[in-house]
Amino acid sequence: MGSTTPHKGTEADGAPEGGVGFRGVVAASEAGAGRRSGMVRRARAAYVVAGVLAMLVAWQLLSFVVSPAVMASPADTAKALAGLAWGSKLWVELLITLKRLVIGLAMGAAVGWLLGIVAGVHRQLRSFLEPLRWVSMTVPAVIIAVLAMLWFGLGDLAVIFLVAVIVFPTMYVNTVSGVQAVDRRLTEMGQVYHFSRRLLLTEVYLPGIASPVLAGLTLATGVAVRAVVLGEVLGAMNGIGHAFSRAMAYLETPELFAWIVVLLALMAVIEFGVLRPVRRRIMRWRKAGG
Amino acid sequence: MIVFEEVSKSFDSLEVLSGLSFHIATGQMVGMVGPSGSGKTTILKLVTGILTPDKGSVRVAEGVVGYVFQEPRLLPWRTAVDNVAAPLRARGRIKAEAREIAAHWLRRVELGGFEHYHPAELSGGMAQRVSIARAFAVEPRILLMDEPFSNVDAALKGSLMQILTSIIRERKPTVLYVTHDQAEAIRLADRVVELVPGNGLRELDVRDRA
Repeated sequence: MGSTTPHKGTEADGAPEGGVGFRGVVAASEAGAGRRSGMVRRARAAYVVAGVLAMLVAWQLLSFVVSPAVMASPADTAKALAGLAWGSKLWVELLITLKRLVIGLAMGAAVGWLLGIVAGVHRQLRSFLEPLRWVSMTVPAVIIAVLAMLWFGLGDLAVIFLVAVIVFPTMYVNTVSGVQAVDRRLTEMGQVYHFSRRLLLTEVYLPGIASPVLAGLTLATGVAVRAVVLGEVLGAMNGIGHAFSRAMAYLETPELFAWIVVLLALMAVIEFGVLRPVRRRIMRWRKAGG
Repeated sequence: MIVFEEVSKSFDSLEVLSGLSFHIATGQMVGMVGPSGSGKTTILKLVTGILTPDKGSVRVAEGVVGYVFQEPRLLPWRTAVDNVAAPLRARGRIKAEAREIAAHWLRRVELGGFEHYHPAELSGGMAQRVSIARAFAVEPRILLMDEPFSNVDAALKGSLMQILTSIIRERKPTVLYVTHDQAEAIRLADRVVELVPGNGLRELDVRDRA
C-alpha cells in the first residue's frame, strides 16, 4: 500500500477546495448554464459506463487466452458470486469485514480529525506531531500489519488497529491543511464581533474545513478497505480478506474473483451511497448560485 | 468617543503609525482619507481591539463596535439571516431571538424576503447590505467602515449610501469611516481628516459641501 497516496490526495482534493472565498459573484453570473452542465454531466456519465464496459470486455477477452486456473471469466465469477450469496457465507464474511472497517475507520479518522483541528491552529503541536505523521505515513502497511499481529494476536483487534493507524495520517493531513486554508478574513470578522471560541469553531472553522475533511474521509475510506483486506489476509481467521486468501490457497479462482467483486461493490456502496450524498448535503450552500 | 494619544504601531520593522493623536466626539461621523498604506485599516483594528498599540493609548467608549468591511465577509455556508444573527449569538442572544432581530435588520436594508438566501445567491451589493445589517444589528455605539463602497458599482453605490446614512441619522453611533474617495467622505461625514503618512492628521474643510 503506497505511503505516498494520502499526501498526493491532499494536494489534489484538499487544497483547492479548502480556500473558502467569496464565490458568490461568480456563482451568480453562471446561473443559466445549468441546463448545459446537465448535458455535460450526462455525456460524462456515458463515458464512465463505456469505461466499465471496456474493462469487462478486456476481462472476458483475457479469460479466453489465459488458463482458468489463474483468471476466472466474468461468467464464472458471477456464478461463484451467486453461490456465495445464496449461502450465508458472503453475508457473514461481509459483516465481519464491515465491522472491522467501520470501527477502524471511525477511530483513525476521529483521532486524525481531532488532532488535525488542534494542530492546524497550534504551530507547536503541529511540529510536535510531525514525526508521528511522517512515521505513520512512511512505514509500509504490511509492517504495521505484522506488528499488530505480534501485539494483538490474530483477529479483530489486530485488523482494527491496522486500519486505524493507516487511516490516521490521511485524515490528519487533510484536516490540518483545511484549517490552514480557512479564510483569515472570516476569522478576523469573528474576532471583531467577539465570537466565543465555540462559536468560532461551529460557525467558521468546522464549516470551513468540511470540504477538505470530506475529501480526506473519502480517501481514507479507500485506504481503509485496502488495509482491512491486508490485515485479514495476514492476521485473521475470517472476513473477506481471509476468504480471499483461502480461495487462493485452494485454487478456487472463480471464488477468488468473486471476492474481488464483493470488495469493489462494498467500496462503491460506501462512496456513492454514503460519502457522496453526505458531501452533497453538507456542501449545499456552494451550489446555491447555480 | 474615540481617543488616540501618541499611538505608534509597527509591523515587523515597518512603522505604520507614529505618535498619532486624534479625538472623535460621541455621535460624530468622521471620514478618514489617505493613500493606501497610510495606516487607515490599522487605525480601525486598533479601535476594535484586535490590534494593540506599541506605544501610546487608544480609548474607546464602552459599548459594542459594528464593523463594515471592504468586502462583505459573510459566512458562505450560512443564510443571510444567520449571518446577521451570528454576532448577536456571540453576545448571548438565543438563536430564535437573534434571528428575529436579524430579520428586522435585513428588512431595514431592503432585503426582506432574502432571509434564507446563501451569500452565493446574492449580488455583491446585496451581500454588502447584509454586512451593513450585521453591523447595525448589534446596536453599535461605534461604527467602523473600511471602504464599504469600493467593491460596489457606481449605480448601486448611491442607494447603499442612502440606506446607510438614514440608519446612521436614526441611531447616531460614533462613526469612523475610511475611504480613499475624498469627495465621498466630504459628502457623508461631519468631519473629514486626511491621514498623512508620517505626519499625522490634517483636518479638511467640509463647510462648502453641497
